[in-house]
Amino acid sequence: MLQLSKLVKHYRLGEEEPVRAVDDVSMSLAGGELVALYGPSGSGKTTLLMLIAALLRPDSGTVALEGRDVSALSEQQGAEYRLRDLGFIRQTFNLIPGVSALDNAALKLLGTELKPREAHRRVIPLLEQFGLGKRLHHRPEELSMGERQRVMIVRALSTEPKLVLADEPTGSLDSRRSREILELLTGICRDRGVAVLLVTHDPQAAAYADRVHALHDGRLVDYEPEHVLASADAN
Amino acid sequence: MRLRNVILLYRVRLRVRAVQELFAVLGIAVGVALLFASQIASTSLDGSVPTLINGVVGNMRLALVARSPQGFPEGLLGEVQQLPGVRSAMPVLEQRATVIGPRGQEPIVLFATNAHFAHLGGPLLKHFTAAQIERQHAFALPLPVARTVGLASLQSAQLQIGARKQPAFLGAVLTESEVGGLIDSPAAIAPLPYAQHLGGMSGRLTSIFVRPAPGREREARNGLLRLAAGHLNVQAANADAALFNQAAGPVNQSALLFATISALVGFLFALNAILFTVPQRRDLVEDLRLDGYSRRMIVEVLLFDALVLGVVASLLGLALGDLLSLALFHVSPGYLSFAFPLGSLRIVTWQSVVVAAGGGLLAALAGVLIPLRADIFSRLALEPGGRRSARTGSYAVPIAGVLCLAATTAIVVWAPKQAIVGIVCLVAALLLLLPSAIRAMLLAFGCLTGSRGGAASHLAFVELRSDSNRARSLAIAATGAIAVFGSAAIQGAHANLQRGLNSATQAVNSYASVWVSPEGPGNLLATTPFPDRFGPTLARMPGVRSVQAYRGGLLDYGVRRTWIIAPSRTVAQPIPASQLVSGDPALAAARLRAGGWAALSQAIAKEHHLHVGQAFVLPAPRPQVFRVAALITNMGWPPGAIILNAADFARAWESSDVSAYSLTLMPDATARQISGELGRALGRGSALSAESALQREQRGYGTSHQALAGLTQITSLVLIAAVLAMAAAMGAMIWQRRRRLADMKVDGFGKGILWRALLIESGLLLGGGCSIGAVLGLFGQLLLTHALAVVTGFPVVYSLGALAAISNFGLVTVVALIILAVPGYLAACVRPSIILQD
Repeated sequence: MLQLSKLVKHYRLGEEEPVRAVDDVSMSLAGGELVALYGPSGSGKTTLLMLIAALLRPDSGTVALEGRDVSALSEQQGAEYRLRDLGFIRQTFNLIPGVSALDNAALKLLGTELKPREAHRRVIPLLEQFGLGKRLHHRPEELSMGERQRVMIVRALSTEPKLVLADEPTGSLDSRRSREILELLTGICRDRGVAVLLVTHDPQAAAYADRVHALHDGRLVDYEPEHVLASADAN
Repeated sequence: MRLRNVILLYRVRLRVRAVQELFAVLGIAVGVALLFASQIASTSLDGSVPTLINGVVGNMRLALVARSPQGFPEGLLGEVQQLPGVRSAMPVLEQRATVIGPRGQEPIVLFATNAHFAHLGGPLLKHFTAAQIERQHAFALPLPVARTVGLASLQSAQLQIGARKQPAFLGAVLTESEVGGLIDSPAAIAPLPYAQHLGGMSGRLTSIFVRPAPGREREARNGLLRLAAGHLNVQAANADAALFNQAAGPVNQSALLFATISALVGFLFALNAILFTVPQRRDLVEDLRLDGYSRRMIVEVLLFDALVLGVVASLLGLALGDLLSLALFHVSPGYLSFAFPLGSLRIVTWQSVVVAAGGGLLAALAGVLIPLRADIFSRLALEPGGRRSARTGSYAVPIAGVLCLAATTAIVVWAPKQAIVGIVCLVAALLLLLPSAIRAMLLAFGCLTGSRGGAASHLAFVELRSDSNRARSLAIAATGAIAVFGSAAIQGAHANLQRGLNSATQAVNSYASVWVSPEGPGNLLATTPFPDRFGPTLARMPGVRSVQAYRGGLLDYGVRRTWIIAPSRTVAQPIPASQLVSGDPALAAARLRAGGWAALSQAIAKEHHLHVGQAFVLPAPRPQVFRVAALITNMGWPPGAIILNAADFARAWESSDVSAYSLTLMPDATARQISGELGRALGRGSALSAESALQREQRGYGTSHQALAGLTQITSLVLIAAVLAMAAAMGAMIWQRRRRLADMKVDGFGKGILWRALLIESGLLLGGGCSIGAVLGLFGQLLLTHALAVVTGFPVVYSLGALAAISNFGLVTVVALIILAVPGYLAACVRPSIILQD
């Protein structure tokens, strides 16, 4: 499904040595697979996500989704790609305050040709499936943090993407709600055949993945779960 | 909390929010400037005439005043001086004149007294001690007037007094160091004998000012009353100031109205600007509370913020307002200068400064504290997004709005005199109903976009329903609403008044096809008398079928300087049908022709409790009993008008002088031909000129238009301020939303759709606010027009100025949208990666 080949992205900050945000990264992701990308802050995770989402162009290498190279798309093509093929779940809660869960969830669908009412009709089953059937008309302020994150997930899934990028989706949740969200993501992979790339620095979250890649100074390195968990426990 | 700590905290924070604070300062400054400038306009007009009067009368207390420009015999001065209780008396001859120099002509008032009396008067007349004026038979002019007409000291000029133009010698030019504030008055001074010679008034005076002996004022007044014998007025020395206040009442009322609306727009401008800084202050409040600051300490910190903001903005606003008053608000209502010596004096009172600066401080306090009251007094809200409380759903606000609307309606019907209170009620109703109206509009828009709208319109709808922008959205909509309301109400009333004034001008001028009267801009009402010796000459001119005498003047009746209109008995319609308020037109015309009857303005009749058919004594030079033939409008003259026939006028004024000839022409003759012949027929030195009725009408329209031009300028200024405020506030709101726009771009929205959504959102908000303003503006028009007609008796022509309302609504919305298109586009071009920075 997703194929990254020898991706390189360097940032140059003044006269200093360039920062190697992503350095020769190659990896692949199949449909229905949940892959975690583990790495501490500043390791290059978010840059890699932006390259996959066609928000950045790589210095070299390619990003291919179902064989289509998305690393050199124009702005308009990139937007179309993100709208149709990609779902993006963010750590921050970008729900619009004062607006119902239903409207917030249907927001992405408005970018397609669907009329608002049809968009609502499309997301209601998803919201029900995610346990928000009775909270459709509640505003974000009236939802728990877990519920808000579920609305974000519904928004990401509303256009039936092939690939979901989840950027620290449990970063602001307690452990019980984190588990709920991670189980949901696993379910999405299994039931819908969607490929999910989960970016996290939480070893507990990484444990839900089929495979885990670790990123260190922009390069993929071997992931050693025992070592990571031990350091996490020590912390 | 120690002041030094508060200042330190302010200084540290200022570095990171200097731009937002600057916006807030500018916003409040614009509000203060609008308020200050409209106040200066009002006080300058109010103070212009009293300043000149005080400059003449000095410490004189009483005055014996002639009821016509022909005055009374000079010999009366000796009798006044002999009266018990009179300490000193000063003879004055006051004549309206036009000074003509190489560069143009200017209307002036020529004050004259004797040099040995001048020390008794005010600062203007004290200059008679200048020996050369006395010796040389010369007059003196203030520097600005001399400069305008291109004259300097010791030069020859021409003076037109009545129907005579003659050479006169300018002996001195008065500078500001000599006459102070009077420098901007249209006043000339001359020794009494010289002025009498110039005006053909040998041995006559127009007033004698009296200074009673201490404690003997009543005695002196009684003596003066005996001397006056009902033919002259005995009044306070500065009584003209009261007459002027009455005449300037409608202008002052409209100035007050403008000040109110300017203040409201200014306050909303300021509020919009302060809302720029709310996010930073909100974070500050949260940080301080987490750091253990008490509520009192937080309020102290915020109060200091507001104080600095208010003081800096008020100072800037006062300076801006001063400039505005010089550039835009200096036009005085020209029509009042026909009867009062109006100058270009600018008077800035300490009250104006206090009101404007106080308003600025209040706006800063309200703008800083009100949006943060929930943050200051609520419990700590550590959870993101958990701070806002749920919508209250209260009905109290719209109900209060409906009550205000009902109160306005009651004022229109039962108490139109309280028009200002009505406007304030209407503005309150507007602000109270605005949130509900915007909500209803959004509901309707939501229904529409739900089934048929595109993505951009639905995005706009979702964004407008969001709580995060509610306060600012309402402030923006309210700014547009108030501006459009004010301008639509004032422009509509203005248009109705202009139409009414035009109809009155047209009615009076239709007494003749050609008018022959003393030329000059100061004689538009044809109130300058001149000897009736030109009639036969005019009748012999080729093309003239008939010549009739027209008489007119200004007469102080109670507290009103009324306009007396006295056409010949033979005119077709002595009482113009368009100006009739009450009475039978045919019967009234017949009675007027018969004599002993007069048509009175409704306001004068009401003041003296008179009805059609009742008798009253007209306080003319020879008081006469008249009966009320009909009630009329004020004919466009604020204090009111009285129509009688020319023969009655001659009897009551004890003079055969006329103030114009109304000519009827042969079918093939034109006013231009008559005008050409006139110079030859009347000889050099005659200041009479011929004008067709149409030419006089055009001159009348021009004068009333000039009088109301100030209103148009202020309306435009309010609209410009509103457009800028709305565009700036909306632009800032959009700019601060770039993160959310970036988020949408991550979801695949293109910049085109986001830009369209932003424009639709702005259009809805601006259009919604402005349309509500336009609707209530129409109500405001009705209120103001009704008040003008009922309270002041102006000849208004009722017409709902929907066009003005729609054009203002369209103008404000479209211009603000055009300005907004740029920041909207830039915001829509935001890089989506800003929300995903590593």
